[in-house]
Amino acid sequence: MRNVLLTAACAATLATGAFAQEITLGRFFGACEDAGTDTTTSTGEACIIQSIINAADAELDGISINTLPTDWGNYYDQIKAAYAGGTPPDVHVMHRHRIPEFAGLGALAEISGDLEAAGIDPDDWSPAALEAVTYNGGIYGVPMDFHANLWHVNMEIMAEAGLVEDGKPVLPSSPEELLAHAQQVKEATGKDYLAADFAQFPIGVRVVLALIWQQGANIFTEDGTATINTEAGRNAVTAITQLFDAGLADPQLNYADSQQAFLNGEAAILVNGTWVVDFYTAEAAKEEVGLDDYYVADFPTLFDTGATWADSHMWAIPSTLDGEKKAAALKVLAFINDHNIDWARTGHMAVRKSVVESDAYRSLPHRDEYTGTAAIAKDTPPSQRYGAIQDVLNRELQAIWLTGKPVEDALDDAELEVQDLLDR
Amino acid sequence: MNRSYYWLVLGLSIPAFLWLVPTLWMVSLSFQPNEVLARTTSSTLFGLIPIPFTAENYAALFTFGQTPWWFLNSLIVSVGMTLGVLAVSTTAGYALARLNFRGKVPITIICLVGLMVPEQAVFIPLYTMFADFGWHNSYHALILPRMAVPIGVFLMMQFFRGIPRDIEEAARLDGVGWLRIFWYVMLPLARPAMMTLAILTFLYAWNDYLWPLVSAQQREYFTITLGLASIQSNFAQSEGLGRVMASGVIASLPVVILFLIFQRYVVQAMTAGGSKG
Amino acid sequence: MQNPRKPASRLSQTQAAWILLAPFLFTYGLFLIYPFFRGFWISLHDWNLLAVAFNPDAKQFVGLRNYERVMWGRNIEWGPLAAPFWQLLGIAGLAVSVLLRGTKRLSRFNAIALGVASVLVIILPGFHPGEEGRWYDRRFWPTVANTIVFVGLAVPGVTISALLLAAALNRETRAMGALRTLFFLSQVLSVTVVTLIWQIMFSPRQGLIANITETFGGTPINWLTDEQFAMAAIVIATIWWSLGIAMILFLAGLQDISKDIYEAAALDNAKGARAFWYVTLPNLKRTVTLVVVLQIILHFQVFGQSHLMTQGGPNDTTQVLVRYIYQTGFRDSELGRASAMAVFLFVIMGTFSVIQFIVGREKT
Repeated sequence: MRNVLLTAACAATLATGAFAQEITLGRFFGACEDAGTDTTTSTGEACIIQSIINAADAELDGISINTLPTDWGNYYDQIKAAYAGGTPPDVHVMHRHRIPEFAGLGALAEISGDLEAAGIDPDDWSPAALEAVTYNGGIYGVPMDFHANLWHVNMEIMAEAGLVEDGKPVLPSSPEELLAHAQQVKEATGKDYLAADFAQFPIGVRVVLALIWQQGANIFTEDGTATINTEAGRNAVTAITQLFDAGLADPQLNYADSQQAFLNGEAAILVNGTWVVDFYTAEAAKEEVGLDDYYVADFPTLFDTGATWADSHMWAIPSTLDGEKKAAALKVLAFINDHNIDWARTGHMAVRKSVVESDAYRSLPHRDEYTGTAAIAKDTPPSQRYGAIQDVLNRELQAIWLTGKPVEDALDDAELEVQDLLDR
Repeated sequence: MNRSYYWLVLGLSIPAFLWLVPTLWMVSLSFQPNEVLARTTSSTLFGLIPIPFTAENYAALFTFGQTPWWFLNSLIVSVGMTLGVLAVSTTAGYALARLNFRGKVPITIICLVGLMVPEQAVFIPLYTMFADFGWHNSYHALILPRMAVPIGVFLMMQFFRGIPRDIEEAARLDGVGWLRIFWYVMLPLARPAMMTLAILTFLYAWNDYLWPLVSAQQREYFTITLGLASIQSNFAQSEGLGRVMASGVIASLPVVILFLIFQRYVVQAMTAGGSKG
Repeated sequence: MQNPRKPASRLSQTQAAWILLAPFLFTYGLFLIYPFFRGFWISLHDWNLLAVAFNPDAKQFVGLRNYERVMWGRNIEWGPLAAPFWQLLGIAGLAVSVLLRGTKRLSRFNAIALGVASVLVIILPGFHPGEEGRWYDRRFWPTVANTIVFVGLAVPGVTISALLLAAALNRETRAMGALRTLFFLSQVLSVTVVTLIWQIMFSPRQGLIANITETFGGTPINWLTDEQFAMAAIVIATIWWSLGIAMILFLAGLQDISKDIYEAAALDNAKGARAFWYVTLPNLKRTVTLVVVLQIILHFQVFGQSHLMTQGGPNDTTQVLVRYIYQTGFRDSELGRASAMAVFLFVIMGTFSVIQFIVGREKT
């Protein structure tokens, strides 16, 4: 059996050219098996990225790309396991927030000296993008986007509740107004005002974080002190829980369910990322989908200053790569960098100045509706324990809205645990 | 057959139907168009009947899918592990059950103690060990760690103990060596117990999730269990529920067929094996 | 087959035995014994997965600190009534064991086992953080408790339903054979198929259960995200999945009970349920023990259902030990801590299997 496989593998290698450098590529975003090589027509994160990869595989001479299958939930665990096992993928995607952890241990290649030769112009990256891939003065990856939490709006419901002015949704500017709007929607339509994944994937955490930042606070300081059970923290949490308490939002929906509720026209607002803009646009165009009039809005400012959770996807190569293999891997990075406009079709914000200023980018659907997001994008201070900290917040916030744990207790516990993580 | 028998069958067919429903539902969903499923999963009779019908999900799977490849990997790993476990367990089981030698008691005890070491308690050291050897992402990395299952030795030992001594003694009197007795006399007798062990091991191997999760990161070595896990997380829903369900069906179909073909033998073997245990 | 009548092999019994044992001892030593001790050794270190991979000297010997950090806390106190329910249950258990032993209703070993377990139930829940104190790892003990709850629900669930089904299906007819196949069928599905099916089954908006509830005017339950139902949901999926082997083992045990016993019992007017209670059950004792031991060992290591269906949520109510070990090791990169938990897992399971093993072997 194994011989048969080996033979088949050999045959496949021969067919694609015996001298091809095989580049293994690790990514999340989900699977899209029939993406094709047309990078300009695919929709959705999974299919757009896979079409770019397929195109690179087809167009780059002497390079064949093997995309590793990895699921979202285990992505970083598996990448770590791969690094520790000495078999990391030659190219892989990651979030900006993971750079301290991976680059700090010397896992990622510092590529500032290789960019030019590979045909990547770092001067074309926006300053924020450059900052996103920079760690201790070195460049550890090629940025691909900024993504942030947005408010996805069902204009039909908003109109029914009288919350539309000049073709734009009227969004709250304080927690009290949030509650008032939610009540207005409930009275006028009987539907929920707000939906989001508060139950599993940490979208709810990101909402609360944004509200904390909007008060000029943060969950921990740069020098490693947890500051969660604060007035800002309590205000942020109660701004959300007041909706649950009044029965104006359902905390028990997970990602798929909250999305489904929004697409079915059962909620006026869905808090979710930039990554679904093209998908929802496509869905809204369909006759049979409940959502018809779709609008995208910046995360509203409920407190003093604007802020919304944001992060960056970037592509990195392991430090162990060298020679031909590294050159090939860099070519793949360059190819992805060249297709920044295609990736932006997902709804993500582009990182290249030349793309952001282009007409093609400006004319993407709904793009003009969330231009303010770039200015208010924010994240927690860098930490090697980002994942574990998010998990603590996710659990304690879930405890508040799913199991009725007192806000004070939950924030107290979260603070202790985050402090433990920061001290470790 | 009396009337109470028919009542029993009738009474049992209700839980049996309920038992079948989840599987039926998966099959039915896999034959429905993704656009429809995105809106509702209960088109006809709670979705248990695939109307509207489409075979597109399967067509897509076979055109682009990695599911067949994953399936093949699972098969290689499971068969490999089963053969390995059989070889290791029958030999050791026989030696511990029937041969007298110095050190038998301590070895038996060590083996029994091993029963208490759960595989999940040693996966971290195994991981670092295989990383040191550079063995990850290979078939042997997926197979080898699970070959050392004392439960197999224990089952075989129990079985061999149940075989009457005189069979062996007759052969001994004829001057047959121990290895030959094992190979020509005991092994054929042990077939039912081996079948039981083979089935238990195969099912275990087929379902193993944690070890492949940490050991295999490359597509070439993904098993079906891992592959399916990778497409069922939240974000994969862009591909559509129907497609995901079709993968589930494809992943299950061969084992189900295999089981249906061999089921009589399987049940008999288990019955025979279990009763001697 | 060759002619076995050949001259006697020159191998002595001992030599033959070692040859036959060699493959087992080799794999067993290399893939179980050695990793086990290595795991213990790792647990004595501050060992970062990535850091040590890039620099083997990055580990640091810390003695038992990982154990302390996982299992202990600051200002931990013991109170006789800190967890009244469990502790009273333990006292009751102790009383029962003394009473039954006194009246010779319980064998000595069983009495001791029950007594020891009861004492543990009195002592262990009594620990709690005092004023200003807290557990170093607030998640560890709740995770252990969740795992025990899962085992406590899944094992009896599987055992009882499998036993009842086996008793009902213990006839050699075509219909019974078909039903047996049907109940066994879900066992051959892989864990990810099972979680795939049940995740959608339980979904409050796409799920079959929700669809049916809604048709009859009910409000769908958010099975996987409601803390009251999440554990039940993964237990249901587990029972559905793993009932088959238990049922087959029971069927095997049932066929060993001779027909004569039933006929004799029938003369004493023991039929149906009475026969089941007075004849079947006592004769199945060994099989029941076997099934229970296998199930405890299996379900204590639960991982996939929790990892894939609920991600341990909501609020950690379905977080189980193996998943916590996996997370600590591969998400947080703390192999030392994770290994300390793995050693704990071993100790618990070891205790269970020793108790069960001896109880099962004891003649009554």
